[in-house]
Amino acid sequence: MRFADLLGGMIVLLFGLSIVFFSSQLPYMSEYGPGPGLLPLWLGVGLAGCAIAIILKALKTPDKGEAFFKPRTRIGIQMLAMIVVAFLLLPLLGFSVGLALFTAVSMRIIGKHGLLMCALTFVGAAIGIHFIFGEWLSIPLPTGIAGW
Amino acid sequence: MDILQNLYMGFSISLTPTNILYCLAGAFIGQLVGVLPGIGAPTAVALLLPMTFSLNPTSAIIMFAGIYYGVAYGGTITSVLINIPGESSTVMTCLDGYQMALKGRAGAALSSAAIGSWIAGTIAVALLMCFAPALANFALRFGPPEYFGLALMSFGLLTVFGGDQPIKSIAATLMGVFIATIGLDVVSGVPRFSFGVPQLLGGVDFIVIICGIFGLTEIFNSIENPDEGNLIKQKMRLKDLFLTRAEWLASRWAIVRGGIIGFFVGLIPAGGITTASFLAYLAEKRLSKHPEKFGTGVIEGVASPEAANNAASISGFAPLLALGIPGSPTTAVMLAGFMMWGIRPGPLLFQNNADLVWGLISSKFIGNLILLLMNIFLIPFFVMILRVPYTILMGFIVVFATVGAFTVSNNLFDVWMMLGFGVLGYVMTKLKYPIVPLVLGLVLGRLAENSLRQSLMLSGGSLAIFFTRPIALLFMTAAILAYLTPLIQWGLKSLRPAAVKAA
Repeated sequence: MRFADLLGGMIVLLFGLSIVFFSSQLPYMSEYGPGPGLLPLWLGVGLAGCAIAIILKALKTPDKGEAFFKPRTRIGIQMLAMIVVAFLLLPLLGFSVGLALFTAVSMRIIGKHGLLMCALTFVGAAIGIHFIFGEWLSIPLPTGIAGW
Repeated sequence: MDILQNLYMGFSISLTPTNILYCLAGAFIGQLVGVLPGIGAPTAVALLLPMTFSLNPTSAIIMFAGIYYGVAYGGTITSVLINIPGESSTVMTCLDGYQMALKGRAGAALSSAAIGSWIAGTIAVALLMCFAPALANFALRFGPPEYFGLALMSFGLLTVFGGDQPIKSIAATLMGVFIATIGLDVVSGVPRFSFGVPQLLGGVDFIVIICGIFGLTEIFNSIENPDEGNLIKQKMRLKDLFLTRAEWLASRWAIVRGGIIGFFVGLIPAGGITTASFLAYLAEKRLSKHPEKFGTGVIEGVASPEAANNAASISGFAPLLALGIPGSPTTAVMLAGFMMWGIRPGPLLFQNNADLVWGLISSKFIGNLILLLMNIFLIPFFVMILRVPYTILMGFIVVFATVGAFTVSNNLFDVWMMLGFGVLGYVMTKLKYPIVPLVLGLVLGRLAENSLRQSLMLSGGSLAIFFTRPIALLFMTAAILAYLTPLIQWGLKSLRPAAVKAA
């Protein structure tokens, strides 16, 4: 966790310094008063200052041995991967089918629910998404190769 | 007299069949959300907000208000029956509520929470009717320096209330304010931090961010840290829900005190319902003749924090409506809703949209009554809902979040942005950076920057404008004190061992 804090602090420091760099390319003052670069510049300075304080505190604090990656972090990463795949398939499958498929697959892989239950959820979710969001709320959800 | 006339007008709006239905829907959804793990009031409001584009704003805000105070009622059920808070505002209820359940008094714990919440909620609405218009009148005197001071004070209060790592709270706030600067600068028209991406010229939409942070981040956190507890299997009959005379006598003043504490804490920007319930519990314990019994199953330990969290959820609307400053993550999301509907909360809201304001205030009387009845007669139904596995719910949360992000501009780019913010929120939580300051920074960032620039234009670049106007000076002083509080506490802690050694 100490290492994670240090790494986090360095990322925030980098982020703050980047903001300072890009803000310095914007006008600090303008004809009518403060320019578009004023606040972002000081935000970047503030972030960099906070990051330095976080890094110093992490260096002084002994490691309490709290793990950054827990046993179930792997499952969270699995979920993230499934969401990414689902989003990549949305233009092909459409929202109704694509998201319903994601729901059923996540129930099966993460929740270990039975195949029948997942299949019924897929059908119900596809119909529900199409009719609730697409028809009732009139949201123009992209359709896929199935026309849904 | 004005207040009564306005209230009459409000009831004429909130008592229409449509608005009663929306109030009922909001209360029911709120209760459900409170019971279900991994979903909180900000998530529910964030996910439903995009669906309300075409709704009447008054009906929509009545529904969202119902969700907000309904959530605390629902969270009590899991606190009492499983010893796991359904909501952060019901953490304190676990201490005595679960102990009461172990002694066979789960019904009494739940009904004292429901009755206490209803009484405190009713008192809070009555106080809101007096405070909110007065606050709005006071806010008519605000100019850009006052608004900047208020925003800075809100950020500072978050540092004080925001947890045990104030420097990370400040960093998260600064990140939120930075994200609010992305896009075309409204004054000069210069693009900022869009890096040539046309979809970023309009800035990052708040709905996209909250769907990611309150939708996806919560899923990743809940998967990693599942709530596990043993549901107390106790058959609850209607007569089990009635308090004994001794229990009623022990809890009545706890309810009143909790309600008053909750109301005033909820008025403070960034105060929130969690802080209110915490402070009410501590106050009740301190005032009790038997403080050693707290934590063993005393009814005051349930009634007081429950009264406080409901009162705070109602008074939190005062800064939102009168000043345009949200008092909690949920009201921050509602502020986004107001902007979506083209309504600007603030002092003029009471003049320009009086029907919305008073319709909302009067609906809280109705919503609290609905929740009281729901909690007395529908407890077995909600206990049944407790058994729905999270692995079924999480897929549907992703569906709502994805559709919600897509509806912003019918663009898959926003869906990917939402995912990015979901991952950012998860990493922040892992590294113990609080999320709420990021959201508040995002919501108030534009207001803070515009107020700052207008103030400096007025003063010719001098910062003295923030310290020479009395109200602005008050806010700036409060902000500075808030930022200095962690340093003062750290200094006192460092001095204490030296003082002990010297003694």
